[in-house]
Amino acid sequence: MDQEFMAQVETKVAAPTEAPERGTAAMQLKNVAVSFHGRTAVRDCTFDVTKNRVTSLIGPSGSGKTTLLRALNRLHDLTPGAKVSGQILLEGTDIYRGDITVTELRTRVGMVFQRPNPFPTMSIYENAVSGLRFNGVKKKAILDEAAETSLKSAALWDSVQNRLKVAASNLSGGEQQRLCIARALAMDPEVLLMDEPTSALDPIATLKIEGLMTELKKRVTVIIVTHNMQQAARISDDCAFLLMGEDRAGELIEFDTTEKIFNNPIDPRTLDYTLGRFG
Amino acid sequence: MSNMIELEEPEATGHQMRDEIRTISDRVRRRRQLRSKIMVTLCAIALSITAVPLFLLLYQLFNRGLPVVLHTGFYTQLPQTPTLITPNATGGVSNAIIGTLVLSLYASIMAIPIGVLVGIYLAESDSKLATSLRVISQTMAGAPSILMGLFAFSFVVRDLHIGFSALAGSFALAVLMLPVIIISSEIAVRGVPNTLREAGLALGAKPHKVSMKIVLPAAVTGIVTGIILAISRAIGETAPVLLVIGGGYINSWKPLDPVAALPLSIYENAKSEWPSLRTEVWGIALVLVVFVFVLSLSARIWASRKQQAR
Ligand SMILES: Nc1ncnc2c1ncn2[C@@H]1O[C@H](COP(=O)(O)OP(=O)(O)O)[C@@H](O)[C@H]1O
Ligand SMILES: [Mg+2]
Repeated sequence: MDQEFMAQVETKVAAPTEAPERGTAAMQLKNVAVSFHGRTAVRDCTFDVTKNRVTSLIGPSGSGKTTLLRALNRLHDLTPGAKVSGQILLEGTDIYRGDITVTELRTRVGMVFQRPNPFPTMSIYENAVSGLRFNGVKKKAILDEAAETSLKSAALWDSVQNRLKVAASNLSGGEQQRLCIARALAMDPEVLLMDEPTSALDPIATLKIEGLMTELKKRVTVIIVTHNMQQAARISDDCAFLLMGEDRAGELIEFDTTEKIFNNPIDPRTLDYTLGRFG
Repeated sequence: MSNMIELEEPEATGHQMRDEIRTISDRVRRRRQLRSKIMVTLCAIALSITAVPLFLLLYQLFNRGLPVVLHTGFYTQLPQTPTLITPNATGGVSNAIIGTLVLSLYASIMAIPIGVLVGIYLAESDSKLATSLRVISQTMAGAPSILMGLFAFSFVVRDLHIGFSALAGSFALAVLMLPVIIISSEIAVRGVPNTLREAGLALGAKPHKVSMKIVLPAAVTGIVTGIILAISRAIGETAPVLLVIGGGYINSWKPLDPVAALPLSIYENAKSEWPSLRTEVWGIALVLVVFVFVLSLSARIWASRKQQAR
């Protein structure tokens, strides 16, 4: 028993040798912490996000999942009093100090938010290509193609191809969220951040989005926050578990393959959480 | 509460308890109904106190104004001074109608772009400059409007040697409109949910792109409503234009010509010694009211169409 435990710890520590199936890292987090006005919201986050896999961030409300996710595309930059420390690497480049502008970073790391937030004054088509337009793409052929490909990837093309000019707010909540996914995909990002993308949706719309994941991860690395355990188990390959410490600051408790986190976690708190004993 | 008692006490006591609660709630209900009747009566009284003067005003306006505005000459002719031989020859107010349109047009051209941009800036920035601009525009919004007239007189008419002109008048009106546009634009822009801004930023949009392509379109109904409000206010103002437009007796669209204005015509006709001119004021007032009404009605219709389209 003890030996088994030690073996697990060792594989975990010796990550590079651990699994040949594990590919290269799209993003690497090294001791990442985020604080607001000097109060730490989340800390101790060290893990690799592997390319073409879905990595989920789980943990109870307030454990800093959203906060950590928003550090990955520098969305805290405009929040007064917010400070991100540690290192976040995108393809080996430090996104805060390295040779990359915040604009470039955000075109390479897309985001889908908790509530569907399509631009209300834009049509479906305009929403889909909005990111490209913001970044100066004007050629209609390019925009048309990007709109079609991204809407197809978000499984929305069939139902909207005849009403692309219609205002995005005419869509249902689930369709709006898939439009937001398409909008992010149109930028052809390397990484897609998703913050509880289905928490505002009904079960059927949720299933539709979950169903996208297998296809999505072929072309983009996904990091998804969810506090729905079944969802994390169903759709993610790797899983990071966050929990508040004694000072109410969130910290990374455990990172591993989803399979290990759910079936055979190292930390007893992880087991408690995945079994629904708290949070 | 009753649930807990039922759990602890035997059945019979539970019933007693329930009956008691029922009588108490009856009493409470009766008291509430009485109170609500009193409040409704008070509201009705307050409503009629407000409504009566309003209806009297409208009655007066139409009763006396309609006969005046039903002559086409009222719109097409320049004013005439009655004589002892022709005491009823008042002409029309074409110059004042054109003057009012010209003044609001030029004032809008000056005030709208600046006002909207400053409003956006105030909403999106926390800088010291923004704070002081906000205080200034709030103070300006409360300043007496004759002050704008004085300022336009000494600055535009005198210092800049432009003279009595539509330009000077519209400058005064623009200064009057600015704070209204600034404040309402700021409110409209602040009303745009932050998640939309974040969505834009997360797509790699630069902050000014986010302001122009996302926030501004989303705030546009609020901004336009503020603009209409500002124009409606400016159209009816006498004091700012009194000292500077020169009361031109010609129909002119040129910025440097002296012009007339409807509210000013009301003022001048009302103090005239000729009863025929004094009768005319209600017609002028009616035209002015219709102007403002049409303006705000079209803004409303436009805004609701826009809302439906979303
Ligand atoms: N902009 C902010 N300013 C101050 N505190 C914040 C801000 N955003 C998040 N926090 C704090 O960070 C902690 C983690 O929040 P969050 O990341 O939203 O948790 P989760 O997404 O796991 O529910 C909370 O205690 C919250 O109060
Ligand atoms: Mg969250």
